[in-house]
Amino acid sequence: MASYNLKINGKAVAVTVDDDTPLLWVLRDELNLVGTKFGCGIAQCGACTVHLDGTAVRSCSIPMASLEGANITTIEGLSDDKLHPVQEAWKELDVPQCGYCQAGQIMTATSFLKQNPNPNSEQIRTAMNGNLCRCASYNRIEKAVALAAKKMS
Amino acid sequence: MHKHNSNKALDSKLNAVSMSIKQSIKNLDSYTHVRGKSLYVDDVNIRQGTFHAVVFDSPKAHGHIKHIDYSKAEALEGVVRIFTYKDIPGKNQIGGIIPDEPLFAEDEVHFWGMPIALIVAETEFIARKARSLIDIDIEELPVITRAKQAKAKGSFINAPRSFSLGDTEKGFAACDYIFEGETFSNGQEHLYIEAQGAYAEPLENGNIKITSSTQGPTAVQKTTAQVLGVAMHKIEVDVTRLGGGFGGKEDQATPWAVMAALATYHLNQSVKLILNRHDDLRMTGKRHPYESTYKIGLSKDLKILAYEAEFLQNSGAAADLSPAIAERTLFHATNSYFVPNVETTVISCKTNLPPNTAFRGFGGPQGMFVIESAIAKAAHEIGVTPRQIQEANLLDENDTFSYGQIAKQVEAKNTWNSATAIYNIEALEQEVEDFNKQHSDFKKGLALMPITFGISFTNTPMNHARALVHIYLDGSVGISTAAVEMGQGVNTKMMQIAAQVFSIPIEHIKIETTNTTRVANTSPSAASSTADLNGKATLKACNALLQRLIQVASEDLDVSEDTIELKDGFVYCNGKKSELSWTTLISKTMLKRVALTENAHYATPEIHFDKTKEKGHPFAYHVYGTAIITTTVDCTRGTYEFDSVKIVHDYGKSMSEGIDLGQVEGALAQGIGWMTMEEIAYNDDGKLLSNALSTYKIPDIFSVPKEVEVIPVETKGHDLAILKSKAVGEPPLMYGIGAYFAIQNAIKAFNPNYNLKFHAPMTPEKVLLSLYDNQPI
Repeated sequence: MASYNLKINGKAVAVTVDDDTPLLWVLRDELNLVGTKFGCGIAQCGACTVHLDGTAVRSCSIPMASLEGANITTIEGLSDDKLHPVQEAWKELDVPQCGYCQAGQIMTATSFLKQNPNPNSEQIRTAMNGNLCRCASYNRIEKAVALAAKKMS
Repeated sequence: MHKHNSNKALDSKLNAVSMSIKQSIKNLDSYTHVRGKSLYVDDVNIRQGTFHAVVFDSPKAHGHIKHIDYSKAEALEGVVRIFTYKDIPGKNQIGGIIPDEPLFAEDEVHFWGMPIALIVAETEFIARKARSLIDIDIEELPVITRAKQAKAKGSFINAPRSFSLGDTEKGFAACDYIFEGETFSNGQEHLYIEAQGAYAEPLENGNIKITSSTQGPTAVQKTTAQVLGVAMHKIEVDVTRLGGGFGGKEDQATPWAVMAALATYHLNQSVKLILNRHDDLRMTGKRHPYESTYKIGLSKDLKILAYEAEFLQNSGAAADLSPAIAERTLFHATNSYFVPNVETTVISCKTNLPPNTAFRGFGGPQGMFVIESAIAKAAHEIGVTPRQIQEANLLDENDTFSYGQIAKQVEAKNTWNSATAIYNIEALEQEVEDFNKQHSDFKKGLALMPITFGISFTNTPMNHARALVHIYLDGSVGISTAAVEMGQGVNTKMMQIAAQVFSIPIEHIKIETTNTTRVANTSPSAASSTADLNGKATLKACNALLQRLIQVASEDLDVSEDTIELKDGFVYCNGKKSELSWTTLISKTMLKRVALTENAHYATPEIHFDKTKEKGHPFAYHVYGTAIITTTVDCTRGTYEFDSVKIVHDYGKSMSEGIDLGQVEGALAQGIGWMTMEEIAYNDDGKLLSNALSTYKIPDIFSVPKEVEVIPVETKGHDLAILKSKAVGEPPLMYGIGAYFAIQNAIKAFNPNYNLKFHAPMTPEKVLLSLYDNQPI
């Protein structure tokens, strides 16, 4: 067990866990931030995507040992009362079906749009390719990322 | 945030009710989905001191258990207790249709991944570590992994079923062409992104509440009661929502809930059991693989005069839902075609795979793949296009299905003719031909896929539902039904119905969790029927309440009832708005001691089926459609992309166009995945090789067709569909079958020597082999 200090959704947080505990377990079990989901446990589906210093990462596969002092944003911290433009676009186009993968999709999309504010369709697909949706809401995801880019420009 | 705590606020909102709730309504769950605020079973608050459980399962597919040593696992610090079949106070039996499946293995194991014990510990990590400390000695027995092997050994689940129409012997005698062949379609992993799971907590007097990620709350309740040897009323099952079900949680959500409840029963402590992905993949069943043979006979003018098929269903090690799934294979064996002479047989073969189970389409897709294969084979041999054969045999009004139902309000030709006209099939075919002439390394292929899918549980007694509707004192409304929200948008549809009947804003209606103490003895959310059954019950309950409200209003305003209507949150009298608002009316109704709660029961009328004759009228109605799929195959690599899928679909009169379109797009992608890329692999020992997301590929954003166009067919809808809006969950999956034949047609364009094979999925490996099959090197 070791103690870690992190900034999560803008707040300083201290947790004491085993070094190899993945971030996802800390978020869900220690901090009750359950918007981030477990999907596959091997970084293949993207359901657990959060931001580490602004970049999309897979929280199921990042051990706490590597996160001392890290700045983490989860879906709960993406927006306050108002929705982030990506969330707005998602809602406007009715992207979610079962909803389970969508927090991860949205976290990937927001991080991507920061790097590439004006993407074309191929770039969107490449960026979103690692996030699986079994309901196959993919066409709407692509459209929603494009719409969010428009909203943010 | 939603705030409706004052009547005043509600009244002001009521004035702004839109005229038509039916207009392109949004999925109302999106609000919490995009914020990460939707609660799935693993997200609900758990009590302090909750234990966590992990299942210990068989490391062999078939054998006698000689010895199990739990001592090291039990000695691990933090392990609370390990439960086996010996701890079951009731019956060690979870089989739904046939009692042939124990919760925990006793002396024998029948599939790799079969649950043997439940390890309960202070944390999931400890339970998982304890599992690795269990030693088991199994004396292995012969393993069957294929349906054909099972048939050869006489290993069956139940007796075969056959449907017949006309006389195939006479039919074949009149044919100019007869072709026979074999097909295979593989299974499919559900891969709901939310894995199976349940949370059990003790209540007073030995009662237990289970929060379960299940499509069938009553199945969980009934089976738990049976295993614990207690009355059903002692078990409460609650479902918040599912992170995907697709049939995988119709029957197979049950064991995990029962196990958690068993541990709670003994420990009087809450217990959580959430499968991790590897455990879920290994322990749960999938879509059934089918090995089939067919014989098809046609006249010179391409009429199918006779069709025979034998379907060998790989059921796995226990019945699960296999008999019902087998039945639906027969119901859909002739897809959208009228064939006067039919003889089809399905045999549920018992193997040593995990019990295979429901998956969107429920055996229908497997049956349809075979007749489409037979048509492709016939077309190839005769030298015509499959389209010509398909078109010559489409179902017409008053045609008879092989199971005796007379086809009514048929849209098969309507969707087909609309699709071929609107999308200009000749031009599309010409484009493909031109492209193929100009390119040698890439080839395009096109296929049409008509669908006809029956709506209703084929087991007639299951076609019922109830709704419990409360109007609260402040005018807000709460609705409980048997419907489980799993992404199909059923919550939104239920809200639309109530909003429409009461003419109040949809925001003032809430859908409660699905709970067995509020709505009992339910059928699962399955068979695409959830919105119809629960929606009709909701409609009935709301209408009964409306009648009472109108009566109160007529007394209050001193006018006759027939002059009154509720509109935009006010009582209207002879079309004129009165002072009486919705909320005031509710208060007055309460003061008059008139009930503001209604419980309604709906059972689908008209349907019946006699299994002794295999004839009847099992479906409330059918859903029709036609898809045109175009693919481009890279003939150097064997890879492919879907250029477009153009569909004319029979929604009836869609009540939620956005939701229904999402269902079509999603089902289509799943169908394409099943037919082209999702390859389940077991080795000969019965071990699952495609056991992780790294070895099992489902469609990603690149695999879905670049363009999906869906046009609703012009139709008047069907009265047995909720608000004439037809069921939409399963039927569009079968458009995906066209993907197989589109790829096959591209292969034919590249390799004229290719011997047609019908062995799905058509993976890039198989495409590559087929491109160079039978070619001089």
